[in-house]
Amino acid sequence: MGALKSVFRLLGAPFRPIGSLMGRFLNTPFRQATAVFSLAYVLIEHGIPRIPPLFGLPSAPVPNTVVLEYLVIALVGILLWVSDNEERWSEFKQPIHDVLVRPDRRIWRGALFVIVPALVATQTYLSARPDVSAPPSFRAIHPAPPSAITFQGEQMVLDGLENPLRSTGLLEEHYEEGKRVYYQNCLACHGDGLQGRGHYAQIFNPEPINFQDGGTIAMLTESFVFWRIAKGGPGLPNEGNPWNSAMPVWENFLTADEIWSVIIFLYEQTGRDPRTWELEEEEH
Amino acid sequence: MLVLPNLRSCGWFKGLLSSRHITFSSLLLAASLPFVPADLSAQVDGEVVYNQWCAGCHGEDGAGAGPAANTMLPRPRDFTLALYQVRTTSSGELPTDADMLKVINEGMPGTAMPGWEEVLTEAERLALVDYLKTFSRFFQGDPPTPLDFGRATSGGEDAIARGEEVYQSVECWRCHGQQGRGDGESAPTLNDDAGFPISAADLTENWRFNGGGEVEEIYRVLRTGLDGTPMATFSDIVDAGVITNEDLWSLAHYVRSLSPEEEPSVEEVVTAKLLTDTPLPQTVEDAVWEETERFYVPLSGQIIVEPRWFNPRVDAVWVQAVHDGRELALLVSWGDPSESPDTLWTDFGGQVVTTMGSEDEGAATGSGTADQLVVQFPQQLSEGQERPYFLQGDARRPAYTWTWQSDITGAFESIARGMGTAARQPDSEQHVRATAQHADGQWKVLFVRPLDTGGAEDLALAAGQAVPMAFQAWDGDNGESGSQGAVSTWYFLVLGQPTPVAVYVAPPVALALTLLFGLLVVRQAQVGSGMWREPDAAARAKRTARRKQLAGMGVGVIWLGMAFGSYQNSRAGWEAGYADLGFWWAIIGGLLAIAGLGALIGTWVHTRTLK
Repeated sequence: MGALKSVFRLLGAPFRPIGSLMGRFLNTPFRQATAVFSLAYVLIEHGIPRIPPLFGLPSAPVPNTVVLEYLVIALVGILLWVSDNEERWSEFKQPIHDVLVRPDRRIWRGALFVIVPALVATQTYLSARPDVSAPPSFRAIHPAPPSAITFQGEQMVLDGLENPLRSTGLLEEHYEEGKRVYYQNCLACHGDGLQGRGHYAQIFNPEPINFQDGGTIAMLTESFVFWRIAKGGPGLPNEGNPWNSAMPVWENFLTADEIWSVIIFLYEQTGRDPRTWELEEEEH
Repeated sequence: MLVLPNLRSCGWFKGLLSSRHITFSSLLLAASLPFVPADLSAQVDGEVVYNQWCAGCHGEDGAGAGPAANTMLPRPRDFTLALYQVRTTSSGELPTDADMLKVINEGMPGTAMPGWEEVLTEAERLALVDYLKTFSRFFQGDPPTPLDFGRATSGGEDAIARGEEVYQSVECWRCHGQQGRGDGESAPTLNDDAGFPISAADLTENWRFNGGGEVEEIYRVLRTGLDGTPMATFSDIVDAGVITNEDLWSLAHYVRSLSPEEEPSVEEVVTAKLLTDTPLPQTVEDAVWEETERFYVPLSGQIIVEPRWFNPRVDAVWVQAVHDGRELALLVSWGDPSESPDTLWTDFGGQVVTTMGSEDEGAATGSGTADQLVVQFPQQLSEGQERPYFLQGDARRPAYTWTWQSDITGAFESIARGMGTAARQPDSEQHVRATAQHADGQWKVLFVRPLDTGGAEDLALAAGQAVPMAFQAWDGDNGESGSQGAVSTWYFLVLGQPTPVAVYVAPPVALALTLLFGLLVVRQAQVGSGMWREPDAAARAKRTARRKQLAGMGVGVIWLGMAFGSYQNSRAGWEAGYADLGFWWAIIGGLLAIAGLGALIGTWVHTRTLK
């Protein structure tokens, strides 16, 4: 910092990077408001998606409706600030008023008269033109599990149910068994990397679950995972779109022990921990 | 977390490097270590990584017979043979470390082998290369030297034309076929070195080429062959002067030109263009198809209900659709080397069935049935987003299907309530017509059906509607029949409609209104600052009152508009089965409607005196 300062001094310029920026460009409330608003847009659109990766979490673009909502909030805040005192408010309005009124701003005025209606017309055209996109689809990713299911003809209470194989003392064997079951049955879709990228994965919509993602099995109790495996896509409630899920009904193929083993494999292989029932109760 | 003994052996450093800490570990590494160790692989035990991530397919002994091996064809690599497909070395030589790392990093397209860059750290992948080499004593000798490939030629039309000549002269077509679809006369006889049946690559799908699909990668495969498979090296005929190295590059350019520029993307919606002045095509060869957009629909093996099928021949279908307001024409094309049942392929199909032997009940024991294609729709369109189960429906919501088979003429309509339950509709209810053509390893099937058949039980198609549509395909000569075939999940078919008048009217109206509003704003501002004739006090008061009236009415109208939007949201919510969404939007809509009406009435009451 000191070195930079002396360079500025040598050049005969005062070292006030932010001050001079403010003094030269951001010297009216209107410009300041515009700058803050633009900065808010850039932060929301491009800044927010970069936060989760910092913590090793997956990220996605911010949906347009959310961007819009945040921008409205930012705008309200800015308007509150500029209208906070009378002087700043009239100063803020001045450039707008100038463009509307002053003869020497004729060109600006004309440009706005062309640009704004053109934008509105384009937007109207885009929304009026026939829509060939797929109808909107609502899908609950983690639908509420039933408290009990019928597994291969027998009643099974899911509430409070723990993985029975964890207390046998033979975890390594169950892991190996789960690995066999996984590779013979699950691999084609969920993949060897457990990221939901098997060689068939891209063909299905919705795509297979990514177990490495902290938002999947790590958020769920083992009994929830058991339910999803045992009953598959067709066992989903309506809000889970049972008609489109390619997840098979595994109770038709696997025994309960095989399913519990593959669950152990999923958690061990990804290094994730299942959600516990204590935590589940605390939150309800 | 519970740590298993066999995972514990690697200590905290391994933990740091393990996949789920990729981001953190790289940050920590960058922060805590002054330099990156030169030999990363020395710090990771390749055997541990191999047993955790690779042994499921390749087996702990490296012989390519892990638990998953029976569910894939081509089979997982047998490392004990030291035979590697992707090499920069001569045929019969070992691969370089870089060659092996490339496959681990990028995977083998068109097979079950994925790329591992995102799951394993670089150190782990390097350690794997070292560990794979311990499966064969061949690696104990001197490291192999890569071949000199020379520089890639520039390509272009001349190179492609020359490449086509080379394709003919060195007889690539014997296996790959005249159009490159893997339908050559020798294709049914192909086995890999381990005796398993193997398909000649379909050269029109370069995103599925074993050694990679770009020109340089194709050239590498031509130079080095794919060891262990029937794909031979062409280095010897270059060395013998039969063709030049440049010819081989031209051949690579030609092979590349058989595939699209880019791997096709998957679109959820198939649009059927409305034909206004051209008649609806009645054959698969109609010129209309050349100008009609093709939609790529990838298929997977049906591995959801018993008996399952892990080796589908048809990996994708291309779909094109047009309509003329009365009838829909749907053209489906896909690669299939044979017109099943074809006796030349009987043996191949039998081998596939033996190799992919499924323990599932009812699994096929032989091959030689007909090829088949099923196009599937819901029997009834539902108001909400509900659809039949994508595997030919279920008891609650049946599917309506068009079935075409290579051993019958035309196609027929059925109603299905689950895979394999399709019941053919009576002849009086049959409306779909189909014509098919098999040429150069490709089926083209054209379905034509009236949009509205008039039957109450039949799905009526209407312009502007999104109709769910799914596909299933079988290659009889590949041992496929019954539930053992290839399937897709739901897509949508949307019939194009004449452009609504609103599209032409709304934008100019919006433009005019905006302009008018702008002029008003400017005029108001200029009047306010005295640039126009100063009105007297009475006129000013009147104008202020009128302005307030306009503002009040405007607010009322806007609120009513928002109320209408809420009502629509509410209705959509109820229809989609979300009672809570529907309810809350209804409440919001009600409040907005009251507020809007209040504003209108209030303004009217307050400004009545104006008149």
